[in-house]
This record gives sequence, structure tokens and C-alpha cells, in this order.
Amino acid sequence: MATEVRLPRLGQGMESGTIVRWLKSEGEPVKKREPLYELDTDKVTQEVEAEADGVLLRIVVREGEVDVGTTIAVIGKEGEDVSAALLPAETSRGNGSESAEAARGGAEAPAAPEPASREPRPSPPGSPHEGRRRASPLARRIARERGIDLATIAGTGPDGRIIAEDVEKAQPAAAAATAAPALPAEVEVVELTTIRKTIARRLTEAWTAPVFQLGVSADMTEVLHLREQLVAGLAEGDVKPTVNDVLTKLAGVALMRHMPVNATFDGETIQRSALAHVGMAVAAPNGLVVPVIRDAGRSTIQQIARQRADLVVRARAGKLTLGDMQGGTFTISNLGMFGVEQFVAVLNPPQVAILAVAAVKDTPVVVDGELDVAPMMQMTLTCDHRAIDGADGAEFLRTLVALVEQPALAL
Amino acid sequence: MAELTYREAVRDALSQAMRGDERVFMMGEDIAEMGGSMGVTTGMLAEFGPQRIRNTPISEIAIVGAGIGAAVQGMLPVVEIMYEDFLTISMEQIVNQAAKHRTMSGGQVKVPLTIRTQGGAGWSPGAQHAQQLEAWFTHVPGLKVVFASTPEDVRGLLWSAIYDPNPVIFFEHRTLYPIKGEVPDTIAPIPLGKARVHREGGDCTVVATGRLVHEALKAAELAEKDGISIEVVDPRTLSPLDADALVASVRKTTRCVTAHEAVVQGGFGAELAAVIQHGAFDYLDAPIERVGAKFAPLAFAPVMEEFIVPHASDVLDAVKKTLARA
Repeated sequence: MATEVRLPRLGQGMESGTIVRWLKSEGEPVKKREPLYELDTDKVTQEVEAEADGVLLRIVVREGEVDVGTTIAVIGKEGEDVSAALLPAETSRGNGSESAEAARGGAEAPAAPEPASREPRPSPPGSPHEGRRRASPLARRIARERGIDLATIAGTGPDGRIIAEDVEKAQPAAAAATAAPALPAEVEVVELTTIRKTIARRLTEAWTAPVFQLGVSADMTEVLHLREQLVAGLAEGDVKPTVNDVLTKLAGVALMRHMPVNATFDGETIQRSALAHVGMAVAAPNGLVVPVIRDAGRSTIQQIARQRADLVVRARAGKLTLGDMQGGTFTISNLGMFGVEQFVAVLNPPQVAILAVAAVKDTPVVVDGELDVAPMMQMTLTCDHRAIDGADGAEFLRTLVALVEQPALAL
Repeated sequence: MAELTYREAVRDALSQAMRGDERVFMMGEDIAEMGGSMGVTTGMLAEFGPQRIRNTPISEIAIVGAGIGAAVQGMLPVVEIMYEDFLTISMEQIVNQAAKHRTMSGGQVKVPLTIRTQGGAGWSPGAQHAQQLEAWFTHVPGLKVVFASTPEDVRGLLWSAIYDPNPVIFFEHRTLYPIKGEVPDTIAPIPLGKARVHREGGDCTVVATGRLVHEALKAAELAEKDGISIEVVDPRTLSPLDADALVASVRKTTRCVTAHEAVVQGGFGAELAAVIQHGAFDYLDAPIERVGAKFAPLAFAPVMEEFIVPHASDVLDAVKKTLARA
């Protein structure tokens, strides 16, 4: 019995995903747990593993957006007839010989839906429509009217035929090639990826929140010193902690002491967390992602460094899972490495606060009436005023500055 | 409004036409004393006498031939062919004579002949007394073909058929004779070539004829439980066909099933499907499904007969197929 590969629900609220590419070809053997295809959800691009051993008999949906639960491929034994898995069940009281034939299983398996290929491919003799997607005339008309490329749509009709409903659910391409005037040669058009669209949507939502910002500077002398000590005492081959790892630890401790800031808000209720799961904004090639350092307040700096290293490597490779990105209670966005002296971050909903961390810079400071130079760092806390007040944010920052200037207080 | 059975509705149309117009008369096997094999003409001999309710020998070619002659001479004959299976015997007269006179005479000769007949499965008539042959006649220019499914329609359409200047093959279905329905107090002629929407719906159009109109309506009731809304349309006249009404319905619902009791292969459903797909191509969300009898002579055994001809469940299955839910 062939196994249908259906689009999995990889996280709460996931309704659909975009198949980016298949890592196996039709006819290739697959093992359970072997990466089978790449899936682009609104949060991550990740490899999805095969659920069964066998041969990848049929790829039903080559690429494009698919609803959760849609059959996208069939795995089974070599030479197994996949029509049963893909065809609507024949009615018990068929009409005419045609259905009777099919019901007896005598009918040949129907041809596979042709993969939508971006590359023009040579057609084998006798198949003039290589590359054409199965779609009902109505689906084709709607797609034509709305400037939607059928190749981007997964069909839910018999044999994967695209029906009107499938097109109606699809979003038209950002740039309808029809009406757009020709662009000058120096202009590059970038189609929004699912991730980019999600960033745009969520940050637009965040922008509607009433926020306030609180700015502080902290003397980083002790943090830099601490980091040097940690690097000096590093075990062979272990991950070198960064200034940001130290900050993550200190922020985690401060958050555990100021639960109002360590919270999420869904518009109805505020969920305050006793543990600090600190999101870390990472610039991945295809957009901003925020993987989460778990339990930063109780982890050692070295444990945080190891978590961070793993997450950053996977973020840059586009291999984060939804699990890597869920459950954050706070976020740190650090642009210090770019030399940014001060900036304001946009909320990462549903979190109620985000900390923008700037560069460490030798700055003239006044200590006991004397002019001195100290490595100072500016931090700006953006807070959702619906969930927290100025004093909540200010108290948290006061604690954080104290911990930065005297890290021993965090122990 | 009065309630009449389909049988009474046919009789009412014939009787009223004969009362009001001397040119109308009837010929057929056993239509006089016996009142016809289906009891349609019961009591008409007593009212109109043997000159106008004429029993004939068992010769369909003679019945139709005499009908053509009378029509050409200015009468409005209604001839009855006891079973539509026996139309085969009168094919020469129908296809080569009745259908051709008007054209071949340059329009000088009209043939206002009505050929009433009945057929269909139900009650074990066997393979030679139960066929549904309406598709054959729709293939002949010069003939009009009517297949009514309700008392109101059969009365109004028969009236129009009697007065139509062309030969009309008027099909009735044996199992419909006892069904009851509301009819207006006075006969409202129903123009030939006009479809009727029996039930409005949004998900799929079922174009059904004869007995299958009622099966389609049952299917629509069943489908409602599954949240499927079926539109049932009866063309009523198969030739000329009200293509505009059918196409309009399918453009609205985007899916279509054709349903008749006749065999699927080469059945009138194929013509319906062709006409509809041409007029509604860009509106179709699924291939048009056809429902009809299996490709086999009808069996005498009731259980086999039941198996060969289509029912409401077949219509519903086909509808679900168009909705990609089967």
C-alpha cells in the first residue's frame, strides 16, 4: 500500500507552506527520516523528512504553495500503482463501462501531473504538453484574470488538477507581468519570499502598537574583561563567547527579576514568564530570523554561546525549524558589529519588549568630577505600552545596566 | 390549480385539443376500447367516437404513414406508438418522410404530426419494451423531440406539439404516469425549445430528462445534507434545445452532470455536454459527468434492471465527482 506524503503542520497556526524543491526525484529510493523536500513556511525554510521507506513513486506537487494536509507525493514499492492513492474512489454504482473498468483496477494509472518547470525542458515525443499543469478551464481563466502563475499553485482536484478554489486561495504574483511598464535595465526586481512577506506583515502589525522607547548607556569595561577571561579559559575546540552572549546572559537574569518585561501579549491577556527565553535577531540570507536562546537567565555564558553558534549557523544556512523560533519571551537586536551608535528596534510581537544594542565605543565620561574615557554602549528598550508602563521598562533597564557594569551581581 | 397525474395530464391535453379543434384526432394500437396500453386514452372513445379515436392494425409504419398523410392534408393527427421500441418499425416514415417534406417541398408542405410514445425501465418490461431512444431522433433535422417529466409540463408541451407545424416525437416515461402534480386550471401552452429550472442551486447543474429529473431532485435533497447545492434543469424539448438556459446555469454553477435513463454511450447527454462545454468552457471547473444506463440491453430480472439503469445515488456520485469530493 503506497503512503501518501501530506503537507505537515509544523507549528501552531500553520495553514500552508511553499514547497521550494524536492531533494529526491521520482523513482529514487527514500529512507524514513531522510530529507525529502524543502519547505518554506512563513517562519522558516526547512527540510522535511520522509515518513516511510520505499521509492518516491510520484511527486504530485512539484513546487508552490500548498495547504496543510494536501497530498504532495506518494511513496511506495517499486512499480506499485499509485492511482489508488491519488484517484477519487470509484463509485459503487458506476455508470458506463469506463468506471467499471477502473473499478476493476484494469485501467492504466493516469499520467502524472506534469511538473511545473521553470526551465524549458525538451519534450519527449508524443507529449506536446510537457510542463503544462492540469487545471480546469475556470481555474485557468481566474488565474489569467488575476495574473497568477498556475505553476505556483497546488491542485486539489482529481489527479492534482487545479480547480477554481485553489486559484482563489492563491495570492496573485507581486508583479503581474502584464500591466507593469518595462523597468530600466539597472533595476533588479526582487520577488518577496514567504519569509519576507511574513516579516512585512508582522512588523506592520507591530507598528500599530503604541510603543515607547527608553535609552540608556552602560560602561562595558567589566563585560569586555569577563569575556577575555572566558576566552582565555576556553576548552579546546569550544565556542568562543561573544560580548552578545554575555549580554544575553545578563539580560536573562534581569528579565527573571522583572517579569512584566519578560512577557507576551496577545491582545487579550499578558503571559508573564518566569524563565527568560531570549530571541536573537539574526540576518539570514533570505531575511531576518529570530531564533531563541532557551532559559538564558539560568544558562552559563558558555551554554549560551554553544546554543547561539548552532542557531546562527543554521539560520545562515536556512535550516532553522519552527521549534527554533517559537516561545521567545524577549528579543535582543544587536547592530553593534556594524558600528551603529544608537538605534530603535521594532517590537517582535507578541513580545512586549525588545532591546536594541549598539556598538561599544570609547567615550569621554565624567567619573567623580573627573573626565575619563570608558567603553560605553547604548541600549534602547522598545516597549508595548498596552502591556507595560514606563516604570516597568525603566526598572528592568536599571537592573540590566547594573549587571553590565558589575556582572558579579548576576551570579 | 388542480392536481392531476401525469397520465391524466396527457389525457386532458388531448381531450381539450379535440374538443376545441375538429382537425385533431388520434390513431394507435388499442387506444379505443382498451384506452391504450397505459390507460392514457381511457374514456376518450366514449366522448369522441371511433372516427376520432381510431384503433389501428399492428403496423407502426402504417400508423405513422397515415399520420403523415393526414397532417399533410391539413389535419392535426396525434398517433400513439405503444412502446417507443416500436418506433424502429416506423423509422422510414419518420426519418425519410415526415422530417423531409417541408424542406423538399420548398416549405409548401407542412407535417403537423404528433407521435406520442412511451418507454423506459420499471416493472420489468424486458429488453424490447423499455428502451430510451430519444437520442436517435435528435439527430434528424426536421423533427422536434420533446420529453416531459411533470404533469404540468406534459400537458402544456403536448398542446404546443399538437399545434406545431412540424413533426414532433413526444416521449413519455412509463413510471411517470402515476405521479401527481399541480397544473393550472386552464391549459397554458409551454413553448417548445424552452428549458425549465426545477430547483436552483450553486454548486453543480444537473441537466436531466424524463424520469431522471425526479432522481436528480432526490439527489439534490440528499446533497443538501452534505452541504452541496444542486441546480436541476430539464431541457424538456431536446430538439430544438434551449442551449442558452443550460449554458447560463452552468456558467453560474461552474460544474455539470447530464442525466438520462438512456444508455450513456451515444446518449443525448453527450450532445448536452458538447453544447454546454462550448458555451461555458471558461466557466467549467470540472469535466462534465454523464449519468445514464450501463451499456447493456435492459434485463428482465428486476434486480438486474435496477442495476443497469441510473438512480438518484448515481446522480449524487457524479455531482460529488465534479466537486472533487468523490
